[in-house]
Amino acid sequence: MDHFIQLENFPKIAPYAELFWQGTLVTVLLALFTVIIGFCLALILALMRMSNIRPFRALGLDSDGHPREQGFLALLSRFNPLSFIATAYVEIIRSTPALVQIFIIYYGVFSIVDLPSFQLFGFIRFDRFFPGVVALGMNSGAYLCEIIRSGIQSIDSGQTEAARSLGLSQGQNLRYIILPQAIKNILPAIANEFVVIIKESAVTYTIGVQDIMSAVNAVRGASFIIVEPLLVATAIYFCLCFPTSKAIAYVERRMSRGDKR
Amino acid sequence: MATRDSMIQVTDLKKHYKGGAIKALDGVTVDINKGDVIAVIGPSGSGKSTFLRSLNLLEEPTGGSIIFKGIDITRKKYKNAEGKTVKLNIDELRQKMGMVFQHFNLFPHMTILDNMTLAPMKVKGLSKDEAEKKALDLLDRVGLKDRADAYPIQLSGGQKQRVAIVRALAMEPEVMLFDEPTSALDPEMVGEVLDVMKELAEEGMTMVVVTHEMGFAREVGNRLLFMADGRLLEQGDPKELFDNPQNPRLQDFLSKVL
Repeated sequence: MDHFIQLENFPKIAPYAELFWQGTLVTVLLALFTVIIGFCLALILALMRMSNIRPFRALGLDSDGHPREQGFLALLSRFNPLSFIATAYVEIIRSTPALVQIFIIYYGVFSIVDLPSFQLFGFIRFDRFFPGVVALGMNSGAYLCEIIRSGIQSIDSGQTEAARSLGLSQGQNLRYIILPQAIKNILPAIANEFVVIIKESAVTYTIGVQDIMSAVNAVRGASFIIVEPLLVATAIYFCLCFPTSKAIAYVERRMSRGDKR
Repeated sequence: MATRDSMIQVTDLKKHYKGGAIKALDGVTVDINKGDVIAVIGPSGSGKSTFLRSLNLLEEPTGGSIIFKGIDITRKKYKNAEGKTVKLNIDELRQKMGMVFQHFNLFPHMTILDNMTLAPMKVKGLSKDEAEKKALDLLDRVGLKDRADAYPIQLSGGQKQRVAIVRALAMEPEVMLFDEPTSALDPEMVGEVLDVMKELAEEGMTMVVVTHEMGFAREVGNRLLFMADGRLLEQGDPKELFDNPQNPRLQDFLSKVL
């Protein structure tokens, strides 16, 4: 008689506990490095998107020195290549599956680039782990970029006006006025992204990263048991994500207390 | 009036949107002299705020000129004394024009003292001690010295606006721009802010004040501008204009607000 869950299978997969433990460590490390890389990339992307570098700016002025209001030249004068590149990157990443991006990075980019094959902590294969981090980092960078950008843009424009009218430059305004206020709004969202990446990182088993999912696969291959290892994986993911998001929500509530103007 | 030093000359100032379909400012010409206290009144949507915000380029005009300290600040470049073309440094000009906003715009993540010392230290390069001494002196003048270590959230609206005024004064501006400074205040707090502004006017500060406080416009201002539809329809001595308005739009406006 077949049951969905067969309790006698759990003792059978017990010998593979070490694999699950290692997989959990890999998943957490993967998420941690991904968030760090993703955040750095996102900060650069967000600044690019909000930059005001216009190489054809001069074309937007008429012979009188006043800005043109419309027409092709006015359009061209507003063209910002940095912002265009960043926007294109963000939109492409957000409109394609993470799995496809990971395959392109692993089978495309890292088939050309040779990675040293050594093992971190004696069991993490660097030549699999590193492409996984790069691919996930590039993916979450696009999402984090939007989080950072909206965090910065959520600051009342009156703050910038006050700062600029006091004579602060654009950079000083960003550094002393906008970012300190924006970071507070952004931090919980970044922590949330950490939780999202823990879950999302499951796809990296497809390129041989030994995360939790790859432990499931290994157990299946060795013992032909499938449902019970999956349940173990479910439990691990839940135990990682649920407390983390609850902790974030708590910190978020604490921080928003002093928020009223 | 003609003998006084001109501070800002505004000529045919225009701010058009959508290729001229919307004219927020439609040719405003006015001379602002040193020591002037100019009240700008008019119905909402008349372009008063746009005019004020154009003076320190928070709004970029689309036509006309604003001559401040001999330089047309509406252009990105100008010729200096040696005839060289140099880029306009807008940050430098804005230091000399203090601005006070309707919604105070204090920096909520900083104490009152830090709000006041930030720009003098970062822009003018004052030392922390110098900046703080000056900030405390100014706060003392508006009766808020004991709130120096408070955060903006802990202050009442009137207190916030008084801080905003002295924060701008800490940069030692040559002209102060007020954008409806009492419109967001509870009625009982309007007086304390107007008193500070009145004191400032008596000390000879050049001021341009967009306001709905007709009493202030009449008593403190030495000139009154009446704007409607992006145009300057009438200007002159406040008492004369209030008692004997010529333009029908001004007559209509005054009959509604007085």
